[in-house]
Amino acid sequence: MTKRRTKNKASVRASAGWISWLWIAKFSTVLLVLGTVSLIYLDAQIRHRFEGHRWSLPAKVYARPLEIFSGQQLAAGQLDYELTQLGYRFVKQARAPGQVQKTNQGMVIYSRGFRFADGDQHGRLVEVSLQSNKITRLRQTNGTSIALLRLEPQLVGGIYPSHNEDRELIQLDDLPNGFIETLLALEDRNYYSHYGVSPWGIARAMLANIKAGAVVQGGSTLTQQLVKNFYLTDRQTLWRKLIEAPMALLLNIHYSKDEVLEVYLNEVFVGQSGKRAIHGFGLASRFYFGQPLNELKLHQVALLVGLVKGPSYYNPQRHPKRATKRRNLVLSVLAQQGLISDIQKVKYQGLPLDLTEASQVSRYPAYMDVVRQQLQQLYPASALSSHGLRIFTSLDPWVQHQADRAMVEQVSKIKQRYGDIEGLQGAIVVSHRDSGELLALVGDHNGGYAGHNWALDRSRQVGSLLKPVIHLAALETGRYSLGTIIDDAPISLPQPDGSLWKPQNYDLKSHGKVPMYEALVKSYNQANVLLGLQVGVDNVLLQLNRMGVEQVIPAYPSVLLGAVEMSPLQVNQVYQTIAGNGFYSPLSLVRQVTEANGRLLSHFPFAVRQAASNDAIYSLQHEMRMVANEGTARGVYRYLPTQQKVAAKTGTTNDQKDSWFSGFSGQHVATVWLGREDAKPTPLTGASGALNVWGQLMQNLAYSAYEDIKPQSIEYYYLNVASGKAMPNNCPNGVWLPMSKKLAPSFNTTCGY
Amino acid sequence: MYNNQTARFKPLSLILLVAFLGACAAPSYGPVVEDLSVSARHSERLPSSSTNVYAKDSANGSTNAAVSSEASAIVNTAQPTLYVAPKTEVTITAQPILNQVITPSPAPALAPAPEVAMPVLQGVQLPVSDQAVVEQLLAEADQLKAQGKVTQAVIQLQRAQRIAPREPKVYARLAALLLSLGEASRAEQLALKGLTLVPNKKSYQYYFWKLIGASRSHLGDGKGEASAIFEAEKYK
Repeated sequence: MTKRRTKNKASVRASAGWISWLWIAKFSTVLLVLGTVSLIYLDAQIRHRFEGHRWSLPAKVYARPLEIFSGQQLAAGQLDYELTQLGYRFVKQARAPGQVQKTNQGMVIYSRGFRFADGDQHGRLVEVSLQSNKITRLRQTNGTSIALLRLEPQLVGGIYPSHNEDRELIQLDDLPNGFIETLLALEDRNYYSHYGVSPWGIARAMLANIKAGAVVQGGSTLTQQLVKNFYLTDRQTLWRKLIEAPMALLLNIHYSKDEVLEVYLNEVFVGQSGKRAIHGFGLASRFYFGQPLNELKLHQVALLVGLVKGPSYYNPQRHPKRATKRRNLVLSVLAQQGLISDIQKVKYQGLPLDLTEASQVSRYPAYMDVVRQQLQQLYPASALSSHGLRIFTSLDPWVQHQADRAMVEQVSKIKQRYGDIEGLQGAIVVSHRDSGELLALVGDHNGGYAGHNWALDRSRQVGSLLKPVIHLAALETGRYSLGTIIDDAPISLPQPDGSLWKPQNYDLKSHGKVPMYEALVKSYNQANVLLGLQVGVDNVLLQLNRMGVEQVIPAYPSVLLGAVEMSPLQVNQVYQTIAGNGFYSPLSLVRQVTEANGRLLSHFPFAVRQAASNDAIYSLQHEMRMVANEGTARGVYRYLPTQQKVAAKTGTTNDQKDSWFSGFSGQHVATVWLGREDAKPTPLTGASGALNVWGQLMQNLAYSAYEDIKPQSIEYYYLNVASGKAMPNNCPNGVWLPMSKKLAPSFNTTCGY
Repeated sequence: MYNNQTARFKPLSLILLVAFLGACAAPSYGPVVEDLSVSARHSERLPSSSTNVYAKDSANGSTNAAVSSEASAIVNTAQPTLYVAPKTEVTITAQPILNQVITPSPAPALAPAPEVAMPVLQGVQLPVSDQAVVEQLLAEADQLKAQGKVTQAVIQLQRAQRIAPREPKVYARLAALLLSLGEASRAEQLALKGLTLVPNKKSYQYYFWKLIGASRSHLGDGKGEASAIFEAEKYK
């Protein structure tokens, strides 16, 4: 091989002197064949890209859709917030999807259509009557009542491929009035008559440039622009110049004008959000206006089309004046070309940019983080970042918004009060009480996070948050009731290393014989350790395991005071089981996954598993309500109306390293943790730290009735807590306690012993 | 070896070869991204069809159930699990914690599978829910089920459960549907939860205990079935 090549080279050099018709023919043939091969290659490239998967479409992640139904209680400001987040416009009269009209009784909403996992839903015009944030009635415009209106879910994020390109595919049908006209007027007036390249266009552009003495116009057709963006990288300048025109011609031959235009509309680069590149007008419309493309008005269309020339230079968010100028220029061009009247021009030029108020940065980093982790267990990365999968989650934008706020505002209050606490971190987990769906996650003290998601990635000792589990284990034996007397006395236990463990109460006092409920309400350490030892540390851990904690925990007595590390998420799982009437529901956040076309791929069924008897859980819930009413958690009523029932528990670990609070209302289970990154002491207890975050959060969620459903086997007894015996109702200082009928206390006819 | 003709075209073929290889070796074409600090250009060839199933067969128990329902949907009935990073201080089982508890349904759960006969439940009338929205969603679920869209029916019932989480009728219907699909274990647990909502409602207590009995019978738990039937008789 090598030998032959040298020989050839030599012979070429030898014959270089004379030129004959043979060599001209040879070279022409070479060029011709090369050209043909190149053309064939280009052609194949074009067809491959055009007809195969054109783009890798990131998976879209949706929040839960808001269901509006008669009798539903919303939080103050919630409906307005959700509609704004969805890009609804508040107008005088709702006439088109995406519009809302305020009325005396409530509002008229024109919802958008949406393809849900359970089928397509059309847009509807519905009058919603509200009374102090409660939906009283839903009516269609013809007067008939309807039971339910489901708004489309908010798009909360995507799972992007490594190049971070994001887009939302649109078709020509999705374009609003005047879009194509505006685009062609600006970018390529003869689009429908040229052959992919336009010599006339180039000549005109040159003329204009010479006149102006600068480059003011480009001669590229839309087809050429598409070729540039779609097929060519920006690096190979010479190669690119050479093949751009032939490729544009080929594209024009193979595909119709409409097809090429549609691809252009989806390919064009129109903005940048952090690392994420905004491609196509479909996504651009969502990104800048928070609305689907077909809802845009002409002044918005003009802005989008104007952006093509320089998305960063004319960035309307960063340079609103420049963007307005550019938009108005586009409108002037439209008027010049007779596409709109001068009156229309003036009208649209006078309008504001109408950008969306919804934040464009990823708003839910902690939540999205878990969504991603969970999906990665089910799908390969390439499917997630390229097939346009639609992920339906249970994220509740309102709850998440309030959780973010509560964390930021309360942390700032803490800092005002205690001074700067170095490395103060925090996390919030909120789930739905009866389904176990995760509604919100805060993974950091300021809502966004870099590195650690404190709600999941880090575990801390849980302290007194474990005490309800001791009580549940005790109640489960069938031998204990809330009135059982326990001794709150000093204890000392030998440890494996030979030293003695002497747990003490927070107030360093012993309280003598106390009823079991009081040990929880006042969070007495000694009484609870004693109770735990009576029940058996093993049994307490077994109960914890049934509630969803699978980690192996050595059965040391110190576990009873929460010397076991759990993440806020795990804690929430345990409290979820208590809130769910003793039924464990695994915390979940993905409801369904569908393909881009709506075909259902995965569906995650709701499941429960009984982890505690109905009697035991009823008593425990009662105790935890007392904790909130009169115990260590009573501070929550600084935030909540007294009639709102909640059940909760505070947690503080040794030296106040961790401040915990977990509990539930009728509808929500929430867990809050505050502590330092380096696990050093803080000035915070559960009640002075995490409680406030929890309180503020619950205060801003929709009020929900807390239904107490008493099992038949439970009866309320009026107890003399000193004796543990029931007494007549008219005696002073008694307490009504629910107890299993089997453990009915003996009855004293007198009030005393 | 070579005749004259081919020998004369040797330089040409070489040039063509080089040109061809050069073209092939050129960086693959990806879309141009303006203003983008590209670390790695995405040059992955995308499959030309999207009909493949992406669902991984993971060892942690995800069951991919190929289902031949009306939409020939591939439905993954695995319970999602929350990943919990292993800690150094505390031993946490590397297995996603929530996985072992709820057993992923072993069978293609949501196919219109041969129905489990439930004569025991026939003729039991449950009271009309006082929430119109619940009745509407239950009716929609019935309709979907009748059309053979079982998965969609389950989704609809779960939607009802979120809207009215303390409405026993939703649990009754969901449990009955799951049992008819052979998901006896899940049906039993849902019925048990439903029971906690109806301490004073005889018709529901009867219904739930009957359903629990049927589920246990399906699971081969004869003793459990007998005790459930015994309970049910109390509320007849």
